[in-house]
Amino acid sequence: MKLNTTSAVISFAKELEENSTKFYENLIQKYPQNKEIFLSFIKENKKNIVLVQRVYYEGITDAIEGCFSFEGLDTDNYIFKTEISTEVNYSDALENAIKIEEKIQKYYLDSAEASKSLMADIPRAFERIAKRRDKHKIQMKSFYDKLY
Amino acid sequence: MAILEEPIKEVKVLRNYINGEWVKSQGELKDVVNPSTGKTIAEVPISTKDELGKAIEAAKEAYPYWRRTTPLARVRCLFRLKELMEENFEELSRIQTMEHGKTIDESRGETRRGIENVEVATGIPSLMMGNNLEDIATGIDEYLIRQPIGVFGLICPFNFPFMVPLWFAPYAVATGNCIVMKPSSEVPLTQSKVAELTEEAGIPPGVWNVVNGGRTVVSGLLDNPDIKGICFVGSTPTGKNVVYKRCGETGKKVIAGCGAKNCLVIMPDAVLDKTIAGLMTSIYGNAGQRCLAGTNIIIVGEDEAFYKKFRNAFIEKASKIKVGYGLDESVQMGPVRDKEKKERIVSYIEKGIKEGAKLTLDGRKVNIVGDYPDTCFLGPTLFEEVNPDMTIAQEEIFGPVATFMRAKTLDKAIDIIHNIPFGNSAGIFTQSGKWAREFQYKTECGNIGINVGVAAPMAFFPFSGMKDSFFGNLHPQGQEVIRFFTESKVVIQRWL
Repeated sequence: MKLNTTSAVISFAKELEENSTKFYENLIQKYPQNKEIFLSFIKENKKNIVLVQRVYYEGITDAIEGCFSFEGLDTDNYIFKTEISTEVNYSDALENAIKIEEKIQKYYLDSAEASKSLMADIPRAFERIAKRRDKHKIQMKSFYDKLY
Repeated sequence: MAILEEPIKEVKVLRNYINGEWVKSQGELKDVVNPSTGKTIAEVPISTKDELGKAIEAAKEAYPYWRRTTPLARVRCLFRLKELMEENFEELSRIQTMEHGKTIDESRGETRRGIENVEVATGIPSLMMGNNLEDIATGIDEYLIRQPIGVFGLICPFNFPFMVPLWFAPYAVATGNCIVMKPSSEVPLTQSKVAELTEEAGIPPGVWNVVNGGRTVVSGLLDNPDIKGICFVGSTPTGKNVVYKRCGETGKKVIAGCGAKNCLVIMPDAVLDKTIAGLMTSIYGNAGQRCLAGTNIIIVGEDEAFYKKFRNAFIEKASKIKVGYGLDESVQMGPVRDKEKKERIVSYIEKGIKEGAKLTLDGRKVNIVGDYPDTCFLGPTLFEEVNPDMTIAQEEIFGPVATFMRAKTLDKAIDIIHNIPFGNSAGIFTQSGKWAREFQYKTECGNIGINVGVAAPMAFFPFSGMKDSFFGNLHPQGQEVIRFFTESKVVIQRWL
């Protein structure tokens, strides 16, 4: 589905964060060895939602190009599964987690790029979250590397 | 995409808010219809002259007490009101979409703009200060005091049901005045909700009154000697020939913000993609029902290649605009407010065709997202080969209709702007500081945008306007409206 309004972009960001939370909850349930780190990711997801909504609700005015700023964003490029099937081992689950982080990071970077010249606060917040996602990715890679 | 939940679940008969009470009106009832769905969402009373009289009486009685309330105590009510508006932000926004038709992004933007006015008005203890000078003559000091005036009437438009009343109301009450507000009878729900919040915020009875209605209420406000001033936003014929004239006759202060026909000038060095995005919001945002909406697009220069590139990019973007119910987050443009307004816009489209303009995008044929009646919907419309003297280039259409005109030079473009009777807003898209400065310097319009499609002043700046777009001296918002709501008293003092 194509996203073209700021409202839709913010709602989808929330959806991604909530799905990321679901994924980590499933991961913890199946592989509790790095529980504390994954719980901190979940906590961060909640903070991300607060940040994104705050910049939107505080920054939107009737004059900005709220309905026309975003183009070319398609939810199909960023969606992911939150379930972890029983056959998946820990290393595959980590690999999947890295891919999910990459997808979410890409969503924020693409959204930031699309809105950059029109709204200062929203792209800045998106870039900030993209950096957080990058840190998650690095953390996951280190877990993954330790397995081999 | 899913439709956001509607906050209005049942059809209620609205009441007036007079002296802190919700009073049932004896006037006849009128349906308030959601322009997207065609469903009735409320019934609004067309209040009587007597009911208005009671509201004015209540405001007059509350005034001496409210005036004596300290500025800090007054603004504490506004701080609470701001917090309540933040808590109810989403509900207020969705009500606007339901009663007006604008998209949810636009409604939230309007809510934010309205709240910003409440925020600025909380600065009254500083903003209302006078000034003084010692020893204007030996041993004599002189000082200026700003005093509130009494009861003000607010006559509000349909296009911004939340924001426009807040260009005035928070400043009026913060400076110690009382108000009687008449929301537009087409979109009365938002201000009914705001009145609930003022009650919760502790604004005392009689200070903030809301009387629903039509012409009787307007006439009553204009004629009543206890009303010291009028704040009006609406059409030029009413603003100029009724409101401004009557206020002159009855000695009232007046702010009358009126119609517009805003031009946007595209220079050959404009950054195309950013310009087009700005134009979409300006022309088609709020379905063109904005007094700052761009409508005449003047492309400067004789570079045919640039014109074609600009034109094609514009058409590509405009023809993809998703039209539908504003509570659907994928929708970029909602309906116009009602059937009559749509018919009026269609009549202008027909006039444009008759006068020889080329109809490139015909909004009369519209694809609506979702299953909604097409009663109030129009699609993005574009006329090319428009002559500056044509009716569609001169008169306010107040709908999603753009006209393309050509001008050889920037000066010729400014001439086109000056030949239009309105002077609300104008914009230029360019990378040249020289051209931008020339434009800003020469153009007779109240609000100038430079690479900005909608030059909407923030709450701490006046919402300006010139020529047939504004009647009065001081403008809405910020310091100017504070001066409007206060009288300057000068004291010269000598102690013997």
